[in-house]
Amino acid sequence: MTISRRKIVFGVIKWFLVGAVCLFTIYPVIYALIGSLKTNAELTLGGSFFPKEAQWQNYEYAFSQLNFGRYTLNSFTLAILTVILTLITSSMAGYAIGRRNFPGKGLLSSLYLFSMFVSVGSVALYPLYVLLSDLKLTDSLMGIALVLTGGQASNIFLISGFVKGVPKELDEAAHIDGAGIFRIYWQIILPLIRPIIGVVALFAFRLAWNEFVTSQVFTMQNRDLQPLSVAVANLRYSANAAAEWHIMAAGASIALIPMLLIYAVANRQFIGGITAGAVKG
Amino acid sequence: MRKKENKLSMTLHKIKEERTTYLMLLPNLIMFVVFTIYPIAWALSFMFYEYKGFGEKKWIGIDNFIRIFTRDHDFWDSVIHTLEYVGLKLIYTLPLALLLAVLLQKSCRRNSVAQSVIFMPTIMSQAVMALIFYLIFNTYNGSANQYLQSLGIINQPINWLGVNLAMVTVIIVAVWGGIGNYMIYFIAGLTGIGEEIYESARVDGAGDIRIFFSITLPMLAPVLKMILMLALVISFMDYQSIMVLTGGGPLGATNVMFLYVYQLFFPISPGSRAPQEFGYGAAVSLVCAAIVGIFVGIYLILARRLDNLTE
Repeated sequence: MTISRRKIVFGVIKWFLVGAVCLFTIYPVIYALIGSLKTNAELTLGGSFFPKEAQWQNYEYAFSQLNFGRYTLNSFTLAILTVILTLITSSMAGYAIGRRNFPGKGLLSSLYLFSMFVSVGSVALYPLYVLLSDLKLTDSLMGIALVLTGGQASNIFLISGFVKGVPKELDEAAHIDGAGIFRIYWQIILPLIRPIIGVVALFAFRLAWNEFVTSQVFTMQNRDLQPLSVAVANLRYSANAAAEWHIMAAGASIALIPMLLIYAVANRQFIGGITAGAVKG
Repeated sequence: MRKKENKLSMTLHKIKEERTTYLMLLPNLIMFVVFTIYPIAWALSFMFYEYKGFGEKKWIGIDNFIRIFTRDHDFWDSVIHTLEYVGLKLIYTLPLALLLAVLLQKSCRRNSVAQSVIFMPTIMSQAVMALIFYLIFNTYNGSANQYLQSLGIINQPINWLGVNLAMVTVIIVAVWGGIGNYMIYFIAGLTGIGEEIYESARVDGAGDIRIFFSITLPMLAPVLKMILMLALVISFMDYQSIMVLTGGGPLGATNVMFLYVYQLFFPISPGSRAPQEFGYGAAVSLVCAAIVGIFVGIYLILARRLDNLTE
């Protein structure tokens, strides 16, 4: 009797606390989504939680007057480019480090590991911007995609860790059958490590979609290349920002909704992915 | 001598044999050199120069460093703000994340839904959410003050983004963005602890709180140490959401050191202008990297000391 009562009390306290944290986490998102359907007065004066009438024209305004169609397209292009570049480079490197034995391997791994803990921060953006604009790569989203792909040592460790888990007999058998190093990667390893490839793709997509500072710096001279994150953050500085909270909320929602949809489908992959590489090592 | 030669030729042979492997590493390696090594080399080569983005760069020896250590009070203010930010963020985020991890560790449907909700901020754009928080924490029109006033908790609207409270607001946003991530790290660590240990402790009559402090925490220590270090490094480098939320203001109250560096290179808002001090910026950024390194070093030494004490 007392044990079950203690259990109930514990459950109540637990879910009160967890519920409070969930509310805290979810509130700003709800605020943005519901706010995007309010009038500016409804949003700024407070009062009712829901809009009297859904103001879909806020979205229409963002797309037709503020060029949000363009920014959305930019975000998707940038994210897809980054995913492709990341998958190609990090899956090959992850295979090489996770499976092959070659002179210089130890040095290379420690260099990658070291780089994860050293950062000169935002300075890096200046020489990279100068370099890439000399190479004419700042005229398109390719430049940003390359920068975002470049510094991801963590993906290599994620993949190499997974490759180590594939039984070695498989590639030995393939080797005896005459398959070369690349063929083993392409035909044996790659199909078997699909789960972690999916996780890395999700991470790369998220990075490119959400990244602000790099994209901001690389599109300062070329507003038409701005992805959503940059366009939305800069709404704060637009001419009549004070009068346009409902538009800011609509812009923010346009940037958030695709990620939320992906998360609704793939939340387990996101959550599983961050622990696969980090804590094990 | 003979042996050495043999070894060398073996290595050469191995390199030849693995040439496909090197080719496969190459794309990533090129990216790594260009996007990670080159900027560091650039900073190292510019730290002794004065260069404002136009004209010749001028060799000024260690003047940049003299300026940092003797005249640049704004920079040291930003270092203090960084420490304040890192300390407060970790003090609130980590214990809360650990508590949630313990509560939500068991895998069942309800727990996993709660986990997904709490983890959600991790997948959202910090910049976009910073804009939303900027609206929520607005003094007169923001919903934070509206709720607090209608609940009767405050009479006057609070100036959340004013000099006194801006850092608190920045911390609230940082905690919001961070708990989910660390909760999941902790859960991963907790699942590594075998169920049998808990069982036997329970049989011996230990209560939940006792179990937490004498079993869970010590067993979690190695993972905890790694998570702490990760959290430390990551927090030192945070500046994206601060940039959008407060722009480092007001009066520099939330200006953290990597944001300070950013402003030496780029304008913080589209309208404003950066002072563009590239040589000086390079020097400052290296000092920042060294400061992070020093704190990580101190942490590692403390962690080892603690190990020796408990053993």
